[in-house]
Amino acid sequence: MPDDSHLLNTLKSDQPDAALEELFELYADPIYRLALSLLGDPAAAEDVLQDTFLAVMTHIQEFEGRSKLGTWMYRIAYNFSQERLRRKQPDPLPEEDFSEEEGFSFSPQALIDWRWSPDDLLSDKEIRQILEEAIQKLPESLRVVFLLRDIEDLSTEETAEILRLSPGAVKVRLHRARLALREQLSGYFTERLSKGVQG
Amino acid sequence: MKCEELLTYLSEYIDNDLEAELLTEVRKHLETCHNCQVVLESTKQTIQIYHQAGMRSIPQERRSEIFARLKDALDHCKENPPDLPHGM
Repeated sequence: MPDDSHLLNTLKSDQPDAALEELFELYADPIYRLALSLLGDPAAAEDVLQDTFLAVMTHIQEFEGRSKLGTWMYRIAYNFSQERLRRKQPDPLPEEDFSEEEGFSFSPQALIDWRWSPDDLLSDKEIRQILEEAIQKLPESLRVVFLLRDIEDLSTEETAEILRLSPGAVKVRLHRARLALREQLSGYFTERLSKGVQG
Repeated sequence: MKCEELLTYLSEYIDNDLEAELLTEVRKHLETCHNCQVVLESTKQTIQIYHQAGMRSIPQERRSEIFARLKDALDHCKENPPDLPHGM
């Protein structure tokens, strides 16, 4: 996460709006991706983005600086997204308890080696579609951890703080998300290899 | 170390987050187990593909409109600021 202490100084000054453009450049995309990944709806993700920036700009004096500004922003966006999810589904199914590793067994099904160059893979529209579908199939609690850790490159501790989880629970969720995605992609690539299509 | 046990440490191994003793055991198992090597490499590949693909950013054509809408909303909410979300 970038060092944004200079931004914070401007935001807490008597001219906070001077920091808006830089704040937007730094955080609009990751906040949008987080909201989109949770809500699956670009219009709703735009609304969460706006709500998050308005909350940050108008409540900045309440930010005590115990965490980084970015962590606080992610947390606001995460909570706004959760509020929307609760409105959509007031009584969600109980989440599986991911706090303990115990009881989790995993037997990889696809053991085909499908190492191809990511550059080749990413120019393929079908594969981008597969990546998107695979991540959307993950339970929300795993998807959000994978997004923050492996796509946004946040640390275990930052992710734990944003989601109010223990670092151990973040690690367990990340582990399961990675293996589940690997399994899904391996299934796809095994089929693709059997058809003789190269990367 | 058996394959099943190795798999439970796979993610921490990838993140270089294992203690020395476990790390040695994992490495020893990987040297001789083709299946675990494949799972390890394809898991790393999965992470790399997603990392490189990123995910959808704000569509370029929406970007300036979203920023303009935000500035406008900010001008209008200073007297009556919105609440922080629940849980903050």
